[in-house]
Amino acid sequence: MGFMDKIRGAFGRPPAKEVAKKRLQLILKYDRAGLPPNAIEAVKEAILNALKEFPFIDVDGVNIHIPESDTDGKIEIEVPVKNN
Amino acid sequence: MADKVICITSGKGGVGKSTITANVATALAMKGYRVCAIDADIGLRNLDLVLGLENRIVYDLVHVVEGVVPPEKALVKDKRTKNLFLLPAAQTKDKSAVKPEDLVRVVEELRDKFDFIFIDSPAGIEEGFKTAVAPADTVIVVANPEMASIRDADRVIGLCEAMQKSEPKLVINKIDPKKVARGDMLDVDDVVQILSLELIGVVPEDKNMVAYINRGEPAVLFPESPAGKAMRNIAERLLGKEVPFMELKVQEGFLDKLKKLFGSE
Repeated sequence: MGFMDKIRGAFGRPPAKEVAKKRLQLILKYDRAGLPPNAIEAVKEAILNALKEFPFIDVDGVNIHIPESDTDGKIEIEVPVKNN
Repeated sequence: MADKVICITSGKGGVGKSTITANVATALAMKGYRVCAIDADIGLRNLDLVLGLENRIVYDLVHVVEGVVPPEKALVKDKRTKNLFLLPAAQTKDKSAVKPEDLVRVVEELRDKFDFIFIDSPAGIEEGFKTAVAPADTVIVVANPEMASIRDADRVIGLCEAMQKSEPKLVINKIDPKKVARGDMLDVDDVVQILSLELIGVVPEDKNMVAYINRGEPAVLFPESPAGKAMRNIAERLLGKEVPFMELKVQEGFLDKLKKLFGSE
């Protein structure tokens, strides 16, 4: 890790190229499937609403993303369970 | 050689389609192949500028399509490189002047006279793009390592698939090793992974490119040009040779050299 990366890391901002890659992977998923831009948000909202009924689920930690090795057109949804 | 007719396209404008077309065509002609470069950007011609042939044009592609002259008569012979010919676009007509079946017919007439025929596609994904791609055996998609270009490239790839073309090959143009090293710019691997195409060229940003174009002299003519070398490599790969991709080196500034000298790296 270079000096500049360390400085950036200290401010908690990931490199711009990582941001670009993540954004593009999501954008292309939408474009290829012909989905409206808010499709995932709508799905997310519906899922969050459904999950709120279960107190053992950490709703704030729900994460919707494209897997790193993205070849099969999947979107992953992580649903964390609360630790007591 | 199965892949004789090659369309260079991109979706987004300004990514370097004409530069890649002119240079790869020149590189192949320098090796002795007979090469024709067709400018399919009707109304916005500029392939002639990159080759420095703008004042030698008499007839253009629309004249050929309208039957005013046969294709051979409209070809402009390159002034430096033997075996290289330009079929210019019309500057005053619009894109609807040449339909896909028209360009297919023109290319068929030229096919036996050349080893390679390049078609420089207009930007966009409308009729002009579809016309340019129609006669192609192979499509090369040019993308810059930036968001809009990659998104547009992906659209083009999808359209090629819908037109039942074989999977396009990818050229990444204007990559800046310094910005990549800083983590600001997408790297070659990132772009390949996002678009999942076979890579056929990586052309680095070259500070002299503007001057080459201003002089109408393709960069491949200059051994010292990194971009020129990268585009000569594309020509080699089109000939089926396995050429390793150039290592993208960060150009060292004076301070970097000084640091190295005192061993502080």
